[in-house]
Parts: sequence; structure tokens; C-alpha cells
Amino acid sequence: MEHFIDIVLLGLLMITGFAIVRLRSLLAVTMLTSIYSLLSAALFVVLDAVDVALTEAAIGAGISTILMLATIAQTTDREKVPRHTPLLPLIVVITTGAALIYGTLDMPHYGDPDAPVHRHMAAAYLHDTPLEIGVPNVVTSVLASYRGYDTLGEVTVIFTAGIGVLVLLGYHTRRQNIQPPGIKKIVVLRVIAKLFLPLILLFALYILLHGDYGPGGGFQAGVIFATGFVLYALAFGLGNAQRLIPQRLLHSLAAAGVLIYAAVGIEVMLLGGKFLEYRVLADDPVTGQHLGIMLIELGVGITVAAVMLIIYFGFVSRQSSGDS
Amino acid sequence: MYITVSVVILVAIAIGLVRAFRGPTLYDRVMAVNMIGTLTVLMVAVLGFMTGRPEFLDIALVYVLISFVSTIAVLRVVNTSNDTTEDSKQ
Repeated sequence: MEHFIDIVLLGLLMITGFAIVRLRSLLAVTMLTSIYSLLSAALFVVLDAVDVALTEAAIGAGISTILMLATIAQTTDREKVPRHTPLLPLIVVITTGAALIYGTLDMPHYGDPDAPVHRHMAAAYLHDTPLEIGVPNVVTSVLASYRGYDTLGEVTVIFTAGIGVLVLLGYHTRRQNIQPPGIKKIVVLRVIAKLFLPLILLFALYILLHGDYGPGGGFQAGVIFATGFVLYALAFGLGNAQRLIPQRLLHSLAAAGVLIYAAVGIEVMLLGGKFLEYRVLADDPVTGQHLGIMLIELGVGITVAAVMLIIYFGFVSRQSSGDS
Repeated sequence: MYITVSVVILVAIAIGLVRAFRGPTLYDRVMAVNMIGTLTVLMVAVLGFMTGRPEFLDIALVYVLISFVSTIAVLRVVNTSNDTTEDSKQ
């Protein structure tokens, strides 16, 4: 049965992909991309990749569509019809695709227990996690503890991306709160936003703190947190949102998250362990691991939320300062 | 029972996709995205119960809480650019 669902979902994904290529209206393409994201999240659930599905849900449902729309609002919503013939690119794509498919012939079958991926590190992670770290979600233990270096690198990449956007777009603070005329009258939106905002922030905290036990973690929580504030900006105007979270605060928070992460590593070194070896944080090694994972997830969450908001404000404040 | 439900949901998603592809106005597509979003929430919930792992409901909750934000953002972009219905003329 799951195979049937797999095939149908993959088919729908393929059709959506073709439709995205065919359409010229970029607003419509944005809509279809968000459908693509919804379908792929469902596919990840079928494949039992819950953490990936949650990430796809957190990013695809809100922030990615919003950032694409912000880009369209600054540029144009029509894609130019290319002048050259699509023949050469088509040949390149077909050749590459054929080579990739040829490469998959040598791969082990899907779900094969003898596949290298199941024999190399995965077995060790699955075996050691309950003993050394004691969290039920192995994904969290791999990301945050066994491969903590990688995650530190990823957080630094996100931080760098935020700096890049700041340098390119600048940051414009709106002093007065200008809104498009239509939005002001929509009472329903404001009431719903007021009702939902606490729930969204609460859920983000749940995802952050519950990452050891269920799907989730700092990254997804940060994105959900940022989406909550984007909702506030959409319902109550950009000026109010920027007054709520001033520019300086965002900048410091983005840096503070990376700093917390690295500081945990250095603190551990001072206590006599290796960099990011959390088990020396407490008397009991397992408690130390829990504490370390919690702290670095917090750092990841803070950086991600701040950078997402920096990017969003960077795009949107620029566009409204142009016409006023 | 879960199998029947998931087949029905998949069919409904396919019908929604047709509307999203054909347009013709942006509002049709917004409606289609919203509908497919709701159906995905149902799909994730059904799959969670079918495979006996109801903790998947966290994902469904994320969608319920934040997927409407992007719909609002779309309508707001349309609202400001005054480009209301001219959408698909290819």
C-alpha cells in the first residue's frame, strides 16, 4: 500500500514539476512550488523521514513562499520568453539524467539491509545512542552530538547568508506604519493573527524543546518562530513589527546563537573534554549530553529565527521605502 | 479503512492540482493551494495512524498553524501590485 502511495505522490510531483517549467506567470509558479513542497512533505512522511518532513513543512508552508513573493514584488511577475532554442540545454539535461540513471543501476536496492549506508556508521549510531546519549530521536543525537561540528558549520553558513543579505539589500527601518489600504479593513485577519500568534510561538518552543523526543529541533523551531513574526508584520504592518523587534536586536541575536553554540564547545574544553563533547557538562554523562544538546539547539534556533527575519525585513522594507 | 481514506485524499489532491495548473485566474490557484494544504494535513494524519506512529501529527500541526501565512502574503502582493486577474495567458 505504501508503495502505491509513493508512486502516486511521485507522479503528482513530476506533473507539478512539468507545470512549473511550462508556466510563465511567476506568481502562479510560486503557488505551484508551494504545492510541490506540500506533496514532498507527504512523501517524506511515507518514507518515515519525519524530521525531514517537519523541516519541509516548516520552511515550505511559510517562509520560502513568502521570500519568493517578496522577490517578485521587487522585480516582475512575468518570466521572459527565452530567445534561443531549448535544444542544446535539453540534450545536456537528457545526457546528465541518463548518466545518473545509469549510475543508479549499480546501487543497492531500496531498503536493502546490506547497503553500505546501513552497514557503515548508521548501525553504530543506532546502537550507541540509547547508551551514550539517551534520547529517543536518533536524528537529533546524530545532528547535535555525534556530528556537532557539521551542525556548527551549518549554523555559521546560515549566519553568513544573513550577513550577505544585509550587505546586499541594506536595512530600512520604517518610522511610520504604512499599510496597503485593503488590509487595514480586514478585521478577520487581525483577529485571527492575534489568536494564532501565541499558538505559533508556543508550538515553536515545543518543537525546540521536544526535539530530543519527537521530530524537530532548533532549525525547524527557528523557522516557525520567524513565520509567526512575519504573520504579525502582514497583519499589523511592517513598521509595528520592526518596532517590536528592532534591527539591532535582530543583529545581536543572529550572532548570539552562533556564539552560544561555540561557547558550549569551549566551555566543555575548559571542563576537560574535547570540543563539543557534552558529557563532561554534568556529573552524569547522559545528563551532560541532554544539557549540551538543549543548549546548542537553543543557539541554532535563535540564529535561524533572527536570520530569517533579517532576510524578510531586508526584502520587504526595501520595497516599501521605494514608493513612499 | 485508512487505505480507502488515503486513496480518496490522493484523488482529491489530483483534482486540486488540475485547478492549480489550469488557473485561469490567480485566485483559482490560491484556492487550489489552500485546498491541497488542507488535504496534505489530512494525508499526513492518516499516514501517521496507518503506520502506527501518531507522533507524525506534529507535522500536520505545523501546517495547520502556518500554511495560511503564505496565502495571506500572496493576497497582499496581489493587493499592492494591482495585478488582479491577468495571470495566465500563455
